[in-house]
Amino acid sequence: MGFKEIASSPLLYGLVIVGILMVAAYAAVFLKKAYGRCLALGFDRKTVNGVIKSSLTFSVVPSISIVIGFLTLSAALGVPWPWWRLSVLGAVGYELMAADMATKGMGYESLAAMAQANDPKVFGAVMFVMTIGIIGGLLFVLVPFGKKLTTGMMKARKSTSTWGVVFSSCFMLTMVAVFLPLMVTGDPVQVAVLATSAVVTVLLGLLIKVTKWAWLNDFVLAITLIVSMVSAVGWNALLH
Amino acid sequence: MDKKYERGIHLIGRIGLIIGIAFMLGIPAVISAVYDVWPSSITQVMTIGGGLLLMFIPTALAEVISYTPVLGSSAYITFLTGNVMNLKLPCVINSHTLTGTTQGTDEGDTIAAISVAASSITTTLIIIVGVLLMVPLRPILTSPMVATATSYLLPSLFGGMVLSFMNESCGEYIAKGKNLVMILPLVLVFVINLVYPLSGKEGFAVLACMALNVLIAWVLYKKNIIKMVPKDAAPGKSE
Repeated sequence: MGFKEIASSPLLYGLVIVGILMVAAYAAVFLKKAYGRCLALGFDRKTVNGVIKSSLTFSVVPSISIVIGFLTLSAALGVPWPWWRLSVLGAVGYELMAADMATKGMGYESLAAMAQANDPKVFGAVMFVMTIGIIGGLLFVLVPFGKKLTTGMMKARKSTSTWGVVFSSCFMLTMVAVFLPLMVTGDPVQVAVLATSAVVTVLLGLLIKVTKWAWLNDFVLAITLIVSMVSAVGWNALLH
Repeated sequence: MDKKYERGIHLIGRIGLIIGIAFMLGIPAVISAVYDVWPSSITQVMTIGGGLLLMFIPTALAEVISYTPVLGSSAYITFLTGNVMNLKLPCVINSHTLTGTTQGTDEGDTIAAISVAASSITTTLIIIVGVLLMVPLRPILTSPMVATATSYLLPSLFGGMVLSFMNESCGEYIAKGKNLVMILPLVLVFVINLVYPLSGKEGFAVLACMALNVLIAWVLYKKNIIKMVPKDAAPGKSE
C-alpha cells in the first residue's frame, strides 16, 4: 500500500470518525453540565440561550476558514487525517505550517511532491510529527495543572480585597498589549481591517442603543467579522 | 464556586483530555502498526520534525499557561478542539460582554464553558459539511477573493474585541484607570517587534507581558491610581 492508499484507507476513516464523535459527545456533555450550572446560578434561559445562539452564529465564519485549510491539506494528505487534525487541538495556521515543515524535513519540495512520491513510511512520520508538535500543552500543563490555574484565578478574584478583580482583568489587557502592536506593524491592509472591525463594532453598539434592538447584541461579533473580512477584499485592492 | 460542580467539571475536563490524547497518539500508532509504516526511529521523527518541534512545543506550553486563566474551566474543551485565538477566545470574550460577566467568577467561568462548547459543536458540524461537500465547495472556497478575506480573519476579530478588552467594567466593579496598566507593555512589544519580529512567538510575549502587567497593576492599585467603584449586579441574571 502506498502513501495515498493509507491516507484514504477505510481504517483511518473509521478511527477518525470515532474520534470526532467522541469530541462532539464531550462538547455536548460540557454544554449540558454548564447549562444546568448557569440556571442554578440564577441566569434565565433567555440569556443562556442568547449566549449559545451568539456563539453558534459567530463560529460559522471562522469554521469556514478551517474548511478552507482542510481543502488545502486534503489535496496532499487525503481526507481523514486533515479532518481529524482540524477537528481536535490544531489550528488552521499550525496544521498548514506543520505539514509543510514536516514535508521539508523529509527532503520534499512540497506537500504535493511528497504525496506524488507515494512512500508509505512518510505518512506514519508525518502523522506523529504533526501530533507531537502540538500535544505538549495538554499533556504537561492542562492535565496536571489546569484545575490549579483556573481555581487559583477564582480564589484571587474572590479575596476580600478588590485587588483580585484588578488582577484577573490583567489577563485580558495582556492580549491587547501583545496583539495590537503586532497587528498595527503588519501590512496596511491588516491595519485597515483592524480599524474597520473596531468601527463596525462601535456603529453596531450605537445602532442597538438608538433602536433598542437588544436581540442584535447576539450577532454583533458575527456581523463585525463578516463585514471586516469583506472589507479586506476592498482594502486589498486599494492598498496593494 | 460550588465544590461539586467544580470537581465535576475538572474531572470531566481531565478525562476528556486524556481520552483525546489517547486518540491523538493512538490513531497514528494503529495506522503505523496495521500498515507497517512506523517511523524507523525516534531520531527520524526528530530529524524530520526538529524545526517544527523546537518551535511549537514551547509555544504550545506557553499558550496553555497564558490562556487558561482567561478561559477558566472551558480551557479543557478549548484546547482539545483547538483554534483558540481565531475562534474560542473571541467566543469567550463575546459571551462575557453579552452577560456582563468576567472570568474568575462562577458566572463568567460557566458562561465561557457554554459558549466554547456550543462553538466546538458548530465547528465540528461545519467541518463535517465541508468534508461531505468538498467537491462542489472547493472552487468557491479556494477562489482568490475568499482566500484574501479569510487571511484577514484575526484583525477582523481583534478590532472589535479590543473594545471589549478595554472596557473598564469588571463584573460587579468599574475599574477606573485600569487601561493605564497596558501602556508600558504595549510600547515595549511595539519596539521589540520592530527590532526582533515576534510573529509566531506570541505565546512567549503573552507570558512575559502578563507578569509585567500584574506588576504594573499592583503598583497602580496600591497608589490608588486604579480606583474600584462598585456597580449593580450583572444584567441577565434574575436576582
